[in-house]
Amino acid sequence: MATPSTPPTYGLAASFSSPDDLVRVVRLARAAGYRQMDAYTPMPVHGLAEALDLPPSRLPWGVLGGGITGMLVGIGLQSYTTIVLYPMNVGGRPLFSWPSFVPVTFELTILCAALVAVGGMIWRNGLPEPHHPIFNAPGFERASTDRFFLCIEATDPRFDAAATRRFLETAGAEEVQDVAR
Amino acid sequence: MTNAAATHDESRPPVLAPGATYASVTEKISGLVLSRTTPRWWILAFAVAFLALQVFLVATAYLVTTGTGIWGIRIPIGWGWAIINFVWWIGIGHAGTLISAILLLFRQDWRTSINRFAEAMTLFAVSCAGVFPILHMGRPWLAYWFAPYPNSMSLWPQFRSPLIWDVFAVTTYATVSALFWYIGLIPDLATLRDRALGRATRLIFGVMALGWRGSAKHWHRYETAYLLLAGLATPLVVSVHTVVSFDFAVSIIPGWHTTIFPPYFVAGAIYAGFAMVITLMVPLRRLLKLEDLITVRHLQNMAKVMLATGLVVVYGYAMEAFMAWYSGNEYEGFMLWNRMTGPYAPYYWTLLFCNAGVPQLLWLAKVRASPWLLFGVAMFVNWGMWLERYIIVVTSLHRDYLPSAWGMYSGTLWDVATFVGTLGIFGVAMLLFVRVLPMISIFEVRTLVRKPPSTHRVQGG
Amino acid sequence: MTAALPVAARLQRLSRTSHVVGLAVLALAGVGAYVANQQFLRSYLVAFLFWLGLGLGSLALLMLHHLVGGRWGKATAPILAAAARTLPLLALLFVPIAVGLRQLYVWATPIVPETHHAPVHHEVYLSPAGFLTRAALYFVVWIALAALVTRLGAAVAATGDLRRARWLARVSAAGLALYVLSMSFAAFDWGMSLDPQWYSTIYGLLFIVGQGLSGLALVIVALYLLAGEAAFELADRFHDLGNLLMAFVMLWAYISFSQLIIIWSGNLPEEIPWYLHRFNHGWEVVGLILVVLHFAVPFSVLLARRIKRRGRRLAAVALFVLLMRQVDLYWIIAPVFQADAVRLHWLDPALMCGLGGLWLAVFSRALARTWSVPPPRGGNAGRHRPR
Repeated sequence: MATPSTPPTYGLAASFSSPDDLVRVVRLARAAGYRQMDAYTPMPVHGLAEALDLPPSRLPWGVLGGGITGMLVGIGLQSYTTIVLYPMNVGGRPLFSWPSFVPVTFELTILCAALVAVGGMIWRNGLPEPHHPIFNAPGFERASTDRFFLCIEATDPRFDAAATRRFLETAGAEEVQDVAR
Repeated sequence: MTNAAATHDESRPPVLAPGATYASVTEKISGLVLSRTTPRWWILAFAVAFLALQVFLVATAYLVTTGTGIWGIRIPIGWGWAIINFVWWIGIGHAGTLISAILLLFRQDWRTSINRFAEAMTLFAVSCAGVFPILHMGRPWLAYWFAPYPNSMSLWPQFRSPLIWDVFAVTTYATVSALFWYIGLIPDLATLRDRALGRATRLIFGVMALGWRGSAKHWHRYETAYLLLAGLATPLVVSVHTVVSFDFAVSIIPGWHTTIFPPYFVAGAIYAGFAMVITLMVPLRRLLKLEDLITVRHLQNMAKVMLATGLVVVYGYAMEAFMAWYSGNEYEGFMLWNRMTGPYAPYYWTLLFCNAGVPQLLWLAKVRASPWLLFGVAMFVNWGMWLERYIIVVTSLHRDYLPSAWGMYSGTLWDVATFVGTLGIFGVAMLLFVRVLPMISIFEVRTLVRKPPSTHRVQGG
Repeated sequence: MTAALPVAARLQRLSRTSHVVGLAVLALAGVGAYVANQQFLRSYLVAFLFWLGLGLGSLALLMLHHLVGGRWGKATAPILAAAARTLPLLALLFVPIAVGLRQLYVWATPIVPETHHAPVHHEVYLSPAGFLTRAALYFVVWIALAALVTRLGAAVAATGDLRRARWLARVSAAGLALYVLSMSFAAFDWGMSLDPQWYSTIYGLLFIVGQGLSGLALVIVALYLLAGEAAFELADRFHDLGNLLMAFVMLWAYISFSQLIIIWSGNLPEEIPWYLHRFNHGWEVVGLILVVLHFAVPFSVLLARRIKRRGRRLAAVALFVLLMRQVDLYWIIAPVFQADAVRLHWLDPALMCGLGGLWLAVFSRALARTWSVPPPRGGNAGRHRPR
């Protein structure tokens, strides 16, 4: 039950054997006004994020928040248990032995920050995502070895099966194929 | 920074043999995993390691049913082989984090083909380390008492004790190392998924890869997360061996209580860790025919790091010895004298020979460029660093303030068995890792292919 | 605007001005030497150790750069080399300490106080003759190293000769080892022995890391001031330097805390007085200032990319760190003399400025001879997004 808003294909995938070609075509596509697109590469390609104009990740802020939370939990846990819940004189040290509390506070800071970094990355990337239409692109299994793909999605307002295909071919794509939904 | 020292570059071997392509490096590394034939040496090595693992099971079963008395520990020496092994193992782990995190931050491209392997080494070494304090408790089934949780006894952990700091440090370290390792593996697992021939293999790798598709948006966030993790892991790794050194240093035992311990332990850990990486890497690169990816350059650089950290360790010995004399403190002075001339003097001088003497060979470029000579030096360091912990633990405890409470120590057969057993755990885990997961980060090596290594700038930073 | 003048001329002018100001302030402080002899020496020691840190820290960073390479070093090598060339001046500035030995160090006083029962070894080690011989040795090593490394470095930079480059790396490796060893003993002699009963094995590293931090902060400030218009294009360099600065700030905190927690936990009568002096009578406020302003604030600020990539902001942080280095040295040294209260004497800032004037004069003159603006992106096209 295809409605006009859900086109029959997911998009058009152009493939390249060199990351430099990919970056060049991505720039051209941006210049031509395409916005709904993504590139698929076997490794991080420098310059690609800039070419796609991806906003800087907000992950660092999350990690900072995680770190601060961990630090506060560390200080709170140790102070509360040592001063209130289980006060004990150890070698005449004060109940609030702040130098002794530094190591555990530090470890909890790092732990919480690292958990946010990993969890945040996986969550914001929408993983795990066992299936995605791009896997329908013919030959896509080489996107994890030595092929570089650019997929202009059908949801892009400027997308037109024939015109976009022509654009990609003239821009220098080695192969352009339909991606089934 | 290798890249920037362009003046030196021509004289150095490359980090990647010339002629490599995206497909060739992928083929080479994933081929090791996806190949259906298991090499004969692997089966042989696995059999030996598996046997050692059985020794561990026997030793542990006897220990749990009988008690820690089967070890050689007697008051005044309450910490014997178990703690020595703990410190030794955890120190070994440190090289992995150093290679994967610190060298990433310093944009050292040579880390790329060894980081995965070193991270795996970290993970397994930390597991082996963790075994010892737990067994040493005598009633390992009560280990959860270390955790801060409200319980019916209204007891809370004693946060002024370095042993509790250790629990937090080691568990955090194990967790973060595992996360770092797994995150690094995800893109390679996707490669294996796409290249696997068998249905089951594809399914397993597919599940582990979380549906990774190499999207630019994903890579973008991925790289940020990876760098953040590296930034977090770097101070973490320093903190772990620092906390281990606190186990000793915040006490007042002569030979333990000295302020140089934290940096000196951290340097010693990296020293031992690099020695272990070299020990494993030299035979493996030969057996797996990975000389194109793990080049002499890698070995040379590791040798340099080993030399530098080894010198810091020697600095630690020197400072300890000087202060024992300078302070005029009777107990400090005796501690040093006892180490040098007491019953454990042969151990002490052997340790100095292994840790401070032999590694000076690394000043010679010829030694650094010869894999098997390096292997020999690394073996001395492995042994020397174990002896160092033996000297620290045993000679400090066996004669401290009160002569009437002096004693002697030697490990028993069961100490040896437990130690050999953890070598078995480590060996089995390492061999399985090499067989079922890519031991070199494929996607990072691809970034080396993109640009010729000499002018290349590494990802990250 | 001063930027209109060529850099070399500006440096020459700075050299002359600071020379005159330094001498004038020192002359004024010389009056203080008559009025308050002992206070003069105490203030002098702190100021001397601070400026020594700039020279030695720069030498160490220079050797580190020649050993491991790195873009941060390429941009800053001339500055580091110029700072390393101030070591002969620093040797000269050591003379007042050598002369005033008996007023400064309790073990050198002819009448040993009753409370001080010295270990036998101190008669050998902590004797004026031993002290002066060792000091001479340190300076010979440092000056020789500085001369060798700066000369070889200049030759390599000019010719690109590979064989000499390898020699430079070797000299730097050995030089770093020598520096760490000699500076440790210098720290024991000049700082730790102020209280001859007290000892700490990490004390040498405390000074070494502090000097590295000082050298790095100096280089950042100098690079920003010299780059002028080009500072914008050096964002990558500043970023690297900013990361290094953060690493050193953390390292400083690490070393300082390690010493604290070990001595605090041990609580031994021969060690703990050092902290008792520094945790009471107002000194704890100085300590707290160090925790917050020498560590927490610079660390937090340097987490931000926006600060590290802008020369102006980074230079401001570095300048602040340099100020904190002085506070740190004051906190380490001064409580030995006045544990009962924090009393800042007018000679403290006066000598800091006076010695600084002379140091800056020599530094900027050396720099004027060699400085050229580094190329903004030497061969590093396609820079990846930095941290």
